[in-house]
Formats: sequence, C-alpha cells, structure tokens
Amino acid sequence: MSAVLTELRAAWHPVAAGTDLPPRHAFQGELLGRELVAWRADDGFVNVWENRCLHRGVRLSIGTNDGTELVCRYHGWRYASRSAGCTYIPAHPADAPARTICNRTFPAVERYGLVWTGEDPVGEVPDVAVLEGGHTDLRHLPFDAPADLVMAELGSLRFAPVGSPSGEPVGVDVVEIGPLTVALTASDGSAESSVVVFVQPVDAAHCVVRPVLAGVVDAADLRAVRRHHATALETLRTSVEEIARTLPGPEPYEVLLERAPVHVADPAPPVAGRTAPLRVRVARKWRTSAEVMAFDLESIGDPLPTHQPGAHIDVHLPNGLVRQYSLTNGPGDTASYVIGVKREPESRGGSVALHDTVREGDVLAISEPRNNFVLRRDSPRTVLIAGGIGLTPLLAMARALHRMGAGFELHIFARSDEHLPFADVLETLGSSVHTHLGLDPAATGVTLGELLAEPASTDQVYVCGPGPMLDAARSLAAAAGWADEAVHFEYFANTTEIDVSSTFEVSLARSALTVTVPAGSTILEVMRENGVAVPSSCEQGACGTCSVAVIEGQPDHQDVYLSESERARGDRMMVCVSRARGDRLVLDV
Amino acid sequence: MIRLYDWELSVNCYKQRLMMGILGVDYESVPVDFYPGREHKSPEFAEINPLGHIPVLVDGDYSLRDAHAILVYLAAKYDPSRRWYPVDEPELLGETAQWMLFAEATTNTASAARLHVNLGYDFDIEECRAGAHRLFRVLDEHLWFRERDGLGWVAGAEHPTIADIAIFPDVMLSEEGGISRLDYPALRRWTDRVRRIPGFVVMPGIFPVGDGPERADPLSIA
Ligand code: FES
Repeated sequence: MSAVLTELRAAWHPVAAGTDLPPRHAFQGELLGRELVAWRADDGFVNVWENRCLHRGVRLSIGTNDGTELVCRYHGWRYASRSAGCTYIPAHPADAPARTICNRTFPAVERYGLVWTGEDPVGEVPDVAVLEGGHTDLRHLPFDAPADLVMAELGSLRFAPVGSPSGEPVGVDVVEIGPLTVALTASDGSAESSVVVFVQPVDAAHCVVRPVLAGVVDAADLRAVRRHHATALETLRTSVEEIARTLPGPEPYEVLLERAPVHVADPAPPVAGRTAPLRVRVARKWRTSAEVMAFDLESIGDPLPTHQPGAHIDVHLPNGLVRQYSLTNGPGDTASYVIGVKREPESRGGSVALHDTVREGDVLAISEPRNNFVLRRDSPRTVLIAGGIGLTPLLAMARALHRMGAGFELHIFARSDEHLPFADVLETLGSSVHTHLGLDPAATGVTLGELLAEPASTDQVYVCGPGPMLDAARSLAAAAGWADEAVHFEYFANTTEIDVSSTFEVSLARSALTVTVPAGSTILEVMRENGVAVPSSCEQGACGTCSVAVIEGQPDHQDVYLSESERARGDRMMVCVSRARGDRLVLDV
Repeated sequence: MIRLYDWELSVNCYKQRLMMGILGVDYESVPVDFYPGREHKSPEFAEINPLGHIPVLVDGDYSLRDAHAILVYLAAKYDPSRRWYPVDEPELLGETAQWMLFAEATTNTASAARLHVNLGYDFDIEECRAGAHRLFRVLDEHLWFRERDGLGWVAGAEHPTIADIAIFPDVMLSEEGGISRLDYPALRRWTDRVRRIPGFVVMPGIFPVGDGPERADPLSIA
C-alpha cells in the first residue's frame, strides 16, 4: 500500500454535512473507496457504518432509519444505533441473534457543520482556527476528479468576499492547512473573507469539495452568498473535470475488506460462567413508583453491547450479591441501560442495597445482556401482561413493537397509580397500554381470563410478574386453547423447594469427562469444580441462562423456565437446579 | 371507472398509479404485455394508441395518452385542493410546467438507461448515463437551495406538485440503469419525502421508507 494511502487512512475526513443527516434518513457516502452509510438516531447520535448488511451484502443506505435501529431493506435484519449489533432476524423470530453479529462501525464526530470519520483515524479532528469564531455552511460539490488534482487547482477559485463593494469575483490567497485542506482568502477593498475547503477523497478518481465560510453571514445575505459560492465552485469544477478527462485514470485505491464474518453462520459460544465484564456508572437514579427505583447505567469506556427486548443483565452488587434485572430500553436504544428495581425488604438484600446504598456516580460491574425471553416480532397481535415490576422486560418489548407499528396490547396489573413504574414511558406508547389497578387475586384471575380468551393461532402472549400470577396466567392460557409455544413467561424467582437429595452420574460428552453429583451439590457446581464452565445467571432455575442439551437420560426438572412441552421433550435442562431421574445423564457439554 | 392501460414495471405507468393512489382515485388496471409480448405494438392496441406506447388512460368516453399529460389531467380533475396542478397560481404553475419538461428529460436519459439494461433497448447507454448525471446535478443543487428556504419540493411551494410525481420514479430506479445517486444527497432526501406522502404506493424496485420524524403537516419537509 502506498505511503499516501496509509496516511489518508490514518486521517479524519469529512464525509457529509451535518444537515445531510436529518432524522429518519440513511445517508449514502464513500471514503477511500469504501461505501458508508451514515444515519442519525433520534437521540442525535451519528452512526457511520460500512454500507452493507452482514446478511447478503445489500446496501444499508436503502434501508429504514427507524430512529433507534437501521433496518435492512431485503430481509429486515435490524441493527442497533451505536453498537451496530444485530437485534433481530425476521427469519428466526424466536431466536436472539448472537451478539457477535455486528456491522463494521467507524468513529463519527460533528464539527464545523461537517460529519467526520476515518478508516483508522489517529488523534482528534483537526482544529481550524479561522472557523472557531463561527462559520457558515456552503454548498458542497462532488468532482469527477482525483483529490490531489483538485487540491492543486483550488487556488484558481475566484469569489467575491462578503460585503465586497463591486461584488466581482477576485483571485484568492492560498494557505495549505492540512494534507487535504486549504484556506482561501479573497479581499476587495476593506472586505475580506476566508473559505476553508476540505477535500474528501471518495475514491481514487472522485472527491467531494466541502467549503466552509469563516464567520457568520447576516440572514438577509445568506442566500446570495451561498449562490455566489455555489456558482464559483461550479465554474472551478467545470475546468478541473476538463483537465481530469485528459489525464490517465488513477490506480484505484485498495480497500481493506474484512473476511466474511464467520460468526454470522456460526454464533460464538456464550461467555462461560457468571462473569461481569462490563463496568457502568450510575448516571441517574430516580424513583419511578412507590416501591421502584430506576437506574440509568452508562458505559465507562467501550459502548454497551447490543441487547434485544426481553434481555436481562446480572448486576454484581457492592455487598457481593448478584441480581438479575431486565433492561427496559428499546432495541437500538444503547446509550445506556435502564433498569427498574423494586424494594423487597424480605429478600436477601439485593434490592435494598441498590435502593439504599448505590448512589449516582457509583460504578457497578454487570454481565453482558443475555436474552432468554425472546420477543417474536412477526405476530399480528402480541399480548404483553405485566404484574407490577414484571413490567420491565415487557416495556422493552412494547417499545420495539410500538416503533415497528406492530399490533400489541400491554396490560399492567398494579396496586394503584402510585405503584405504576415508568408511567412517563407508558404515556409514549399510546392507546396500546391498559392498566388494571387494585384488583384482588380473584378479580385478577377474571381479568386474565378475559385477556386470554379466544386466541387466534398467530397470537403470542408474554407474561412477567409474581409467581402466583404467572401460574394462573399459564393455566388460563392452556385452558383457553393457547399453544404452548405461543405462551412466553419469565418468573422473577424460582420459589419452589429444590430437592437436592439425589446422587447420580453425569457424562459430559464434549468434555470427555464423567463426574458424580452428590446429594447437596448441583450439576453446575460439580462441573465448575472440574473446570467445565457453563454460563449462568440467576442460579435458581428462573432465567434460562444455564440451559444445556441432554443427549441421554431423563432430567428431573426443578426450574420454572421451561414450559410443560419443553419439559416433556426432555432435551434440555437447567443445570443450576435440575437433576437426574435415574442414575445417569449424558449432557452435550 | 377509470381504466389505465398499464404494465407493472413501467415507470410511466407507475406515475399514474402513484398519482391516483395519492388522490384516492379508484381505477382499473388493464395489463398490457409490454415485455416480452410487445402488445403495445399490436394492431389491436393501435386503436387505443396509434403511437403504440403506454400508459393510456380512459375515463368514461375520454381517452388520453402520454404519461405527463395524464398527470395534468388527473390532478386538474381529481384534486379538489388544486395544489397538485396549481392552476390558480400562475408562477407556481409555470414552474410546475418547467419541471414537467425536465421530467421528459429524466425519462429519456435515466429511465432509458434502465430500459437498455433491463430490456436490451438500443440506446447509447453512455450518453444516457452522462445525460442523467447532468440532470441530477442540476436537480440536487436546486433541491439543496430549496431546503435552505425551508421548502422540500421541486416547484417552489410548501406542497408537492405533479412535477415531483413525474420526476420521482426516474430518479428512484436510476440505479437499475447503472446511475448511482451517491453524489446527490439532497436528491436522496427528496425521495424520502415523496415516499412519505400519504397514499404513496410502491412498485418493484421502489420501496417504502418508513415513518418520518413527527411533524404537524405530513407534506412539509423532513
Ligand atoms: S442460571 Fe438461571 S436458570 Fe440456571
């Protein structure tokens, strides 16, 4: 690779005007022969990515910017703002995409009215002193000419300084202020203006000339000034393109392409064990209902990993406890994670620690988000049923469905208005939200029965709440004729008494290891002692993280994660609580 | 009921479907086997249009050919707001007519390139492409300055006119003819706006764009 190209790859370049990225638009650009898509999320964040969908290489710039995700036009793969991670694959509506399915991102900075990026830029976007006192955006023009030719010819640009008495274009003084940047100053009598011209190398034979006028022009003169400069630049373009046509075509830039991302086909294995690789700072802590505190957790350092609706994180607390909390964010809403924590004075102290001792500014260790409560996004009608704080994962789902314009209902059961968490978010979801306040268990049962009556075959229901409510909802759904696969649930905790009295043998097929699980120990613990790591989170059979495939033998299910039909199939089990019915199991570990 | 002699993949027929979709006009599509059947060149079709091209619109006893003329008729007859073909505003009407002629030029360059690539029509493809780029440069600059004035459409109004409808498909399908829109960001933004007009309909190769930012008037610029 040539030294010039190496230098260009290490530099920042403007690739768009800030005004080229209005809300809900996907901008198509190119730098050094690489096509880019740039888009602004609703929160203002500017994304600059490689312009190809990981799935079939289709240009993402023809897709849809929905405000938090960029959706590929062809097969609807959705990618989150910031991380560019894939949040949803319509062809696999029931599965969470592997977190490693992620587009190539490039850094993006807005400065001087321009959007800057680079292949591998070193340092900061260069300071341009003359623009620091204010600037005016002018029309940018693409040139069918190489950047170095344009740089050499820019000195012949002629324009009239703002306020020039004659209004006639005059020659300019040229000061080179960077490898692809010049300041051009025109003076006429007492009038003087400077235009800083940035040249963006699109590919070896094309560039975009991006002029910025130093100083702020009176609103009344703005249109005339912009017209004047557009005409001046057009004149230059005509003559430079004339020259370019007489020159031999330059060697194309060599574009560094990544190898096809293998993980698209072959999801990477999940992280082993109960790890907490992420550090977050509590940016904000606020009371969102009588018993619930909300925490806004922002990343320290790297952007937060992509998550999907229904995902949860483990929060490692200062007192040593580890607790699971669902993310309430919509997909693509990756600036920070927002969780809601209900104060449970009866419990072992996880929620109390978060309520009483964790303060704004504190740093917490958390796991990467995991999703064992996957939302299908292809159902014409989705019923979301939340009991109290069970709203948190369903809030993320409701946001995703709302944004997609999909048909859904969100039903929240709570004691009273004061007990309704995230009321401000609920308000943004419009008429799909229904609250059921102050019902006793019997009345709750009646209402649930009504909500679950007469399902269509394509309906899906997601329930999260206290155990008794979930049990009731599940049996009512079964009685009303819901298919087992259409009923999705997430328990807060496994409150059943775990029977740990059996002793049995477990063969770990892929690890070529056979171990004995004695009474009083779990499979997970014994595997860990033997150096075999399996991811886990709640470690009480509620969250589904430690699910393992069963090759042989009958599991003794003691979790609350699997549905009846999944239990009956017996082909997977939660190794944190479940055991063997007989004296031996063979697991795919 | 209005009848449209129609072929699904024709840009000029799509212009009529789009206009009638937006105006909420019911019509019946009469498919003409343009390719490979060349039905528009058949003796039977010569009675409908002796020039042997589509679209042709038949409204009761009234029959009209030529895509851009049909747009004039549809808007003048079926748009009670009198905005799409602004007969009451001479300046705007003049501009609309000017850009309708521009649309003839985009059809003869950008859409001709597409016919060459897709159906093997015998046009000078390089000249078609160069001509389309010349026009796109002019239109991109024009729309960029319009945006600076807070306006989003080819004619100088706060609402679109038939000129937007006439130019839009030629621009939107240009890549099928090998004409990239990478150099025309203002043009690309305008195609988003057209696709957000209530009543917008699609054709193969022209996709919807999703919701725009929330704003009071759906026809104002984004
Ligand atoms: S770790 Fe949560 S179900 Fe086993």
